[in-house]
Amino acid sequence: MIAVTQLNTDEILRYMGCPSEKADEALRGQVEACIRELLSVIRPRWSWRESALAFEAGGVRLESGLLLPGEDLSAHLTGCNRAAVFCATLGAEADALVRRAERLDMAKALTLDCCASAAIEAVCDQIEAELQEKFPGCFFPFRYSPGYGDLPLGVQSPLLELLDAPRRVGLCATDSDLLTPRKSVTAILGVAQGALEQKKRSCLGCPAQGSCQYRKAGGHCGIS
Amino acid sequence: MEFRELLKGPGPVILDGGMGTMLQAKGLRLGEHPELAALEHPDWLLDIHRSYVEAGTRVLCANTFGANREKLRRTGKTVEEVIPPSIAVAREAAAGRALVALDLGPIGQLLEPTGTLEFETAVDIFAQEVRAAVFAGADLVMIETMTDLQECRAALLAVKENSTLPVLVSMTYEERGRTFLGHSPASAALTLEGMGADAIGINCSLGPREMPALVEELVRWTNLPIMVKPNAGLPDPGGAGYDITADEFAAAMAELTDLGVKLYGGCCGTTPEYIAKLCGALEGKTIREAPRSVPAAVCSPVQVVPIDRTRVIGERINPTGKKRMKEALLREDVDYMLGQALEQTQAGADILDVNVGLPEIDEAGMMVKVVKALQGVTDAPLQLDSTRPEVLEKALRVYCGKAIVNSVNGDEEVLEAILPLVKKYGAAVVGLTLDKNGIPRTAQARFDIAERILSRALSCGIRREDVYIDCLTLTVSAEQAAASQTLEALHRVKTELGLKTVLGVSNISFGLPARPLVNQNFLMMAMTKGLDLPIINPNLEAMMAAVRCYHLLMNIDTDARDYIAAYGNAAVTTSITTGDAPGRPAAPGGERTLEQIVIAGLKGEAPAAARKLLETMDSMEVVDSILIPALDEVGAGFEAGKVFLPQLIQAAGAAQAAFEVIRERLSAQPGGESSPKGTIVLATVKGDIHDIGKNIVKVLLENYGYPVVDLGRDVEPAAVVEAAKKHAAPLVGLSALMTTTLGSMEQTIALLREEKVSCKVVVGGAVLTADYAKKIGADFYAKDAKESVDVARRVIG
Repeated sequence: MIAVTQLNTDEILRYMGCPSEKADEALRGQVEACIRELLSVIRPRWSWRESALAFEAGGVRLESGLLLPGEDLSAHLTGCNRAAVFCATLGAEADALVRRAERLDMAKALTLDCCASAAIEAVCDQIEAELQEKFPGCFFPFRYSPGYGDLPLGVQSPLLELLDAPRRVGLCATDSDLLTPRKSVTAILGVAQGALEQKKRSCLGCPAQGSCQYRKAGGHCGIS
Repeated sequence: MEFRELLKGPGPVILDGGMGTMLQAKGLRLGEHPELAALEHPDWLLDIHRSYVEAGTRVLCANTFGANREKLRRTGKTVEEVIPPSIAVAREAAAGRALVALDLGPIGQLLEPTGTLEFETAVDIFAQEVRAAVFAGADLVMIETMTDLQECRAALLAVKENSTLPVLVSMTYEERGRTFLGHSPASAALTLEGMGADAIGINCSLGPREMPALVEELVRWTNLPIMVKPNAGLPDPGGAGYDITADEFAAAMAELTDLGVKLYGGCCGTTPEYIAKLCGALEGKTIREAPRSVPAAVCSPVQVVPIDRTRVIGERINPTGKKRMKEALLREDVDYMLGQALEQTQAGADILDVNVGLPEIDEAGMMVKVVKALQGVTDAPLQLDSTRPEVLEKALRVYCGKAIVNSVNGDEEVLEAILPLVKKYGAAVVGLTLDKNGIPRTAQARFDIAERILSRALSCGIRREDVYIDCLTLTVSAEQAAASQTLEALHRVKTELGLKTVLGVSNISFGLPARPLVNQNFLMMAMTKGLDLPIINPNLEAMMAAVRCYHLLMNIDTDARDYIAAYGNAAVTTSITTGDAPGRPAAPGGERTLEQIVIAGLKGEAPAAARKLLETMDSMEVVDSILIPALDEVGAGFEAGKVFLPQLIQAAGAAQAAFEVIRERLSAQPGGESSPKGTIVLATVKGDIHDIGKNIVKVLLENYGYPVVDLGRDVEPAAVVEAAKKHAAPLVGLSALMTTTLGSMEQTIALLREEKVSCKVVVGGAVLTADYAKKIGADFYAKDAKESVDVARRVIG
């Protein structure tokens, strides 16, 4: 059972385009109120599956036969012989909350949206910790999602199918491969028997680095 | 034996168990398509179906759960290639001992508003499956494992419109008793029975031990037979199986006979062994059928509103006599209507009336748009208000839940056109006590019309509980004797016919001074005569106060909870002649100017400050000399990195609140609002569903006085072209957040150029750059909301 009880206000302010030291008490108060409201309605759900990995010229193949194409994920998973594939969602309530706020108070809608982005990250952190416990003595590179590097969004649907996600957690993809509900993630957590070089989820590893809105503004999204 | 006879017979009806796990046990590999089993492994299927028949199954589900065109796309097979052999193999296994159902599972994409799949597309996808199954000779249809009531409705409509087959509808719930989307068994029961399901139920996600609470909720809201098809207990999150044995399963299921469950089967993790044991446990058991009585009620997917006390219908979404609403309709400004909706529900409305009838617009198209948008933001059930049957039908199709149709009357032509729609879509209906000869003067004549409407509705198969009668309010200043006739007719309809009653209250005082005084008292009199559904403006505190007092004094508001919640902390000094609640006291720290208020982003203080200025200043002067300069100052601070996005939006919100006051003032003046500026069309491109940035841009542009037509998200290129032409827009703004959707941005621009639409195009979104914008043919790139205003100023002025 995943239960998020707190979120990082500074991180949310950064998502909102406001350096935390520039935020006044009123704005912080608004963020904190939105955190409470969001956490009271979301129902995080997740599903996972273990898979052996086979490295091929075109990418990494999962046990189910699904090929995760491209070079970047292969490089990322070097040293891993298995992976935990998972998906997580905050559920439709988060989308509905933002949608409703947009009609009444756009500043609040932006805040809620950023809180939800922080919340799904927090959910994934918890899931990752829980999964790591299932592989005692193993080593893990950071979790990797479709859209990072050259791993296309086109793998969303087959990943969701592999995880039985529509039935188990109510998570689907649109025909343009976006996840719905919106605040959702699919990810691959590599599992290695030996120590790995510690890589960070830094801008260098990020697909958006060329055009990222935070970098454009001279900042950083805060995901380390 | 036909399925409907099976339902009528005594004793339980036994369904089958899981299919997926059985196919895996036969050797289906992970990653293989189970939908193709009839083509690739017909012997396995035959074997599995046969063992279920041996175990006692009377209704087999063919292996068609995922056989819709969306899911089959990746297999290269068509619906017509997959469904007939799937049904044939089940038929062969049944060998006359069991019926064969077309199994309809979810499409695999979420419908609007959470997803992007349109309702009519969903209907079409299911219709194709139904036609293939009718061709193949299926005996019935089982719609199952649904988490979205709207998807259930799409499937059920597809069955009803393409076959005469009996149909079972089942949804899957979480332990909290709701589906993933928050939809409730109560809403499912009311909606699906209304639309003609033969039986309804629960399958999948939970085990038999979690069924009783869900079954109890279902039986409160439906007279239909109940089906239960749970998993073999609760699943392991890692996919390792389910937690109860066949014996435990059978024992837990057998207890459900006491709750009146008629159809029994199993879902994931259950096998022929489970079904055989289930059969054994049910043998000789009688199903205890307690008499059920389903009360009058309407619903949205998440909220049931039983008409068991006064329920307020909000009247504000209606252009009659409301200039501001007319303007919003002409500009297709759905956001304004959504704001009106939320304001009314916050004030206490239980149900919202929706009327978008204006001669100048496409009423049906607008109705669909507004109903969809409303259901995206409010859980309140809707009352669909139009005189045109084609508008009502379009609205009823897309409305998810049980709606109210407003209205029919005693005119035979109207009854004939509208009652069948009410029946088909399972709505409730308002009957006005008038006919071709107009509104009768006497209570008796109105009562007679009510009786006639009721009898016609009953003969169409509409439940008595779903007929609400409006005895019509006439203006007391014109006809003083009329009010008492209305009240008497209302009382007789309520007591003699036993029907729920509706009444538009506000008309009573037209032409009189101190109208709220008359309205409030008339409302109170009507409630004591048995009015259930007053149609009022809930934003008027005096009206809501009357409803709360009535509930308090009639001992409906138990322990005065609602009353105390509303007034416990309030110093009530409501002015009865205006009906408004007292204004909020001035903010501490004395008077702030409107300029300061906007810069500080104090939305709550802005309307009062604007009103005060308008006492001495002209509207446009307030805009030009105060609001715009204040916004410019905030905008300059934003550019300089001193003000950040949240503050920019807060300032915009405050300015917007002030603008709303000015707009109301302008539209109240003769000639109405004149907007000298050109219209801007905004859209988040096809395939993209991230639109908060575009919505922020909209607020800012409106602040600067630009009329904005917002097409929403996931917008087809052709729709952008159409809107740009229709509104002769000098500027079109497009947003995209994903690299994968930049292609549709490029296509949209190309189509605008191809169609020779003479507009400039500005683009924005997280993944865009100025260079890329140029490359795809945009005229401008705006890096943030503030820059989009700068672009609008350059293009439009």
